[in-house]
Formats: sequence, structure tokens, C-alpha cells
Amino acid sequence: MSELWEVLSEHFPELSSGFWVTVRIVAISFVIAMAVGTAVASLRIAPLKPLNWIGGVYVELFRNTPLLVLLFISFAGLRRAGVPIDAWVAGTASLGLYTAAYVAEALRSGVFAVGRGQIDASLSLGLDYPRTMRYVILPQAFRTVIPHLGSLTIAMIKNSAIIGVSLLALPDLLHQARLVNSRTFATNETFFWAAVGYLILTLLATFAVRRLEARYAIHR
Amino acid sequence: MSYLFDPQNWEWLTTGNNLRFLLEGFLVNLEIAAIAIVFSLICGLLLALARLSRLRPLSLVAGVWVDVFRNLPLIFIILYLALALPAPWKDFYESNVPGFFPEALQSGRVFAGILGLVLYNSAVLAEIMRAGILSLDRGQGEAAASLGLTYPQQLRYVILPQGLRRMVPATVSQLITLNKDTTLVSIIAIQEVMRHGRILSSGFAVFTGADVQAPLLQVFIFIGLLFVVTNLALSRLSVRLEIRERKRTGGTAGPVTGVEDQTALAVEAR
Repeated sequence: MSELWEVLSEHFPELSSGFWVTVRIVAISFVIAMAVGTAVASLRIAPLKPLNWIGGVYVELFRNTPLLVLLFISFAGLRRAGVPIDAWVAGTASLGLYTAAYVAEALRSGVFAVGRGQIDASLSLGLDYPRTMRYVILPQAFRTVIPHLGSLTIAMIKNSAIIGVSLLALPDLLHQARLVNSRTFATNETFFWAAVGYLILTLLATFAVRRLEARYAIHR
Repeated sequence: MSYLFDPQNWEWLTTGNNLRFLLEGFLVNLEIAAIAIVFSLICGLLLALARLSRLRPLSLVAGVWVDVFRNLPLIFIILYLALALPAPWKDFYESNVPGFFPEALQSGRVFAGILGLVLYNSAVLAEIMRAGILSLDRGQGEAAASLGLTYPQQLRYVILPQGLRRMVPATVSQLITLNKDTTLVSIIAIQEVMRHGRILSSGFAVFTGADVQAPLLQVFIFIGLLFVVTNLALSRLSVRLEIRERKRTGGTAGPVTGVEDQTALAVEAR
């Protein structure tokens, strides 16, 4: 038991810096995922068939490819091809674009829940299509899918661990835990504290989503 | 773009035994996925039942178990098991693994990989199944009880057939995620498609009879497409099944569309 605290007190700087790197990766990827996800969702529900197609291909490609493969393509693949991409850019972009496919699907289901009638109504009031989306449909769609987006964010926290152990080697929590473990050989203790770190993040996110949901969500 | 589609950069695919080498690696992924799916479904159902059990301590323990494993990164669990699994467990696996399994599955590390996949996915599936069961009208269980069915009989004939059927879409999308997550075992040095891809693009793959170094970008785009094709096939299959089921039973599938909806459902049902 005493060893548990020893590992924490001796290696707190590494572990906490890893914790904050994980937070930063998730924060950047979250912005990318929401922005790209919204754009792709708008493509998928646009009143133009070719645009729907592009959105659909994006979703199916990114949703069905393993994140680890995306990381290989975006980092090692592009570097071999002569594009000097940064590990942070490759990592956050991969995680963001991967999650964006799920976000797009969530938003699309939210838009369907808002209903065709509202689109028709606002179009007939003279709003053009982008404004209909911006002021009428998307605000409601977002509020409908808050629980769904919340679980996607939690999935993103968990998926961010893949970036640290892949060949990108961003110094995130799992990466740091592995380093500490290779120096101390206190596997159980080190991984216990890393687990605590991840559980803090995921459970905090769960709690935050529940609060948001209670305040803003629309139940249909 | 011209680099990406330059036929010269795709030549590796048809030279020597490269394609076969990649597909052999992919087969290992599919086998790991198949084993993990079977055990995850069984353990997930047991966990869901334990969590819904009327025995307070049992449901409490199952609840904590599920919440912990569901909220940890899968790669974290796999890495930890690979490092910390007692050697006798791995030896036990190595001495009991069926001989017809491919060479890549004979190693004790595979046990850590599969165990990690099962621990994580059974927890997630348990939540999905629990949400499905909870989404049923309470009256169903009460009616079955008043007809004189015992609790196991209620589960077997009334609750589970309806509850699980509702959860087919969410379950399938989780199984697709599991299929993708089999690539993570490459991190604990199991020779599957990611490793084979790296070998091909390292230039050391002389044993495949190809003397060209495969460009890494194209190799991994190809691997990604392998996953896209299998996962699309899986989801099409589930849609087919659903339509057939609906025709057979005359009922409608549940309103649950994604893995994540189950959380919402579970919250509502509480």
C-alpha cells in the first residue's frame, strides 16, 4: 500500500503533465470534431444529391477505419510521402476527423428529429437554406443530441490514449505511465494512478453531460 | 494527389506475395474479433443480468465493475494486461490453445489482447443490454410473473427476447467498433495486419518475394479499406436481419439507433 503512494509522490510531475497533455489533445480534437462534424452533417442533409453523397462517403470511410490506421496514414504515411507533418497536428486531426464522422451521424439524426415541417416552414418564411440551418434547425438538433455528443466526447477521451502509444508518441497520460513503468517496474501502482487519471476525466465528462442535458436537452 | 494515385506506388500490391501477406494478417484480426465477440456477448449478458439482479450486493459489484471497465481506454487495459498478467495464465493459454489456430494466435500475449477486448466490450455490451431490458414496459415482467412464470422463465421467454431484439442496432455498432479495435493488439506485438503492413513498408519483406519497398501511405490506405469493406458488410447484414425479424414478428425495432443512445435510455429508465 505504501508503494502506491510512493509512486505517486515520486512521479507526480510526469503523470500530471501526461494528464494535461491528454486534456489538451481532447480539447483540440473536440473543436475539430464539432466543426467538421457539423459541416459533414450539413452536407448529408443538403437539398443536393451530390453533396449528400460526399457527406455519406466521408462518414462511412472515417467511421469504419480504425483510428490506429488513420494515425499511421496521417503521420508516418504523409511523412514518407514527403509532407513534414507535426505529430500534434496528425494526432489531433486524426482523432478529430474520426470522431467527426460520428458527430455528423448524431447531428443528422437530431435534424431528422426536429422534423421536415420546420425546414419547410422557415424556407417558406423566406430564409435561405444556410440561414434555415443556422437559426432554426441546428440549434434544436444540437440540443436534441446532447447525450449522444456527450458519449462521443467520452469516447474521444478514451481514444486519445491510442495517440500516446502509437508511433506519434505524444507524451499523454498513458505514454507517461509507460515511461514511469519502464523505470520503476511498479506496473500495478503506475497503471493504477493512470487509471485514476482516465476515470477522473471520463466520470467528470459523464457528470458534465448529465448537467448539460438536464438544463438544455430537448426530449422527443 | 498524383503521388497517391501514381500506379507505380500501387505496384507493390501485385508483386510477389505481398497481397497474400497482408490478407493473412487481416485474417488474424478477424479471428481475434470473432473470439472476442463470442466471449463479450456472453459475459456482457451475464453482467447485465447481474446488474439488474435483485440481490443488492451482486448488482452493486456488477455496477462498479461495468462502470470502471467501460470508462477506461481499451488500449490502457490491453497494455496493462500484457505487462501484468501472471506468467502462469499465459502459459496456461499457450499450452491449451487449439493446434489449428494460426501461428500468430499461439503466443501468450494474444491471451492478454483477447482478455482486454472482452473485459472492455463486455462492460459496454452489458450497458447496452441493460438499457434494452429496462426500456421494456414494466408490465411485461409483471404479467409474466402473474402468469406463474419463475424469474428465470420470465427472463428466458418474455424479457430477453424482446429486450435484446431492441438492442440489435446498438450491439452491431459496438461489434463494428470491436472489429476496428483489434488493430490495437499490434501494440503488444501480435503479428496482425498492422504489423504486416509495417513489415511490407520497411523494405525488409524479401520473404514475400517482392523486391520493392511498399510506400507506407498506400499500404495503410489499403488496410483501412479492408476494414471499411468488412465493417460495411457487417452493418448491411444487421440491417437485413432486422428487416427479416420485423417481418417475422410484425413488431418494430426499437428507437435506439447508436451505441450512445443507450446511455440516454438508461438514464430515462432509472
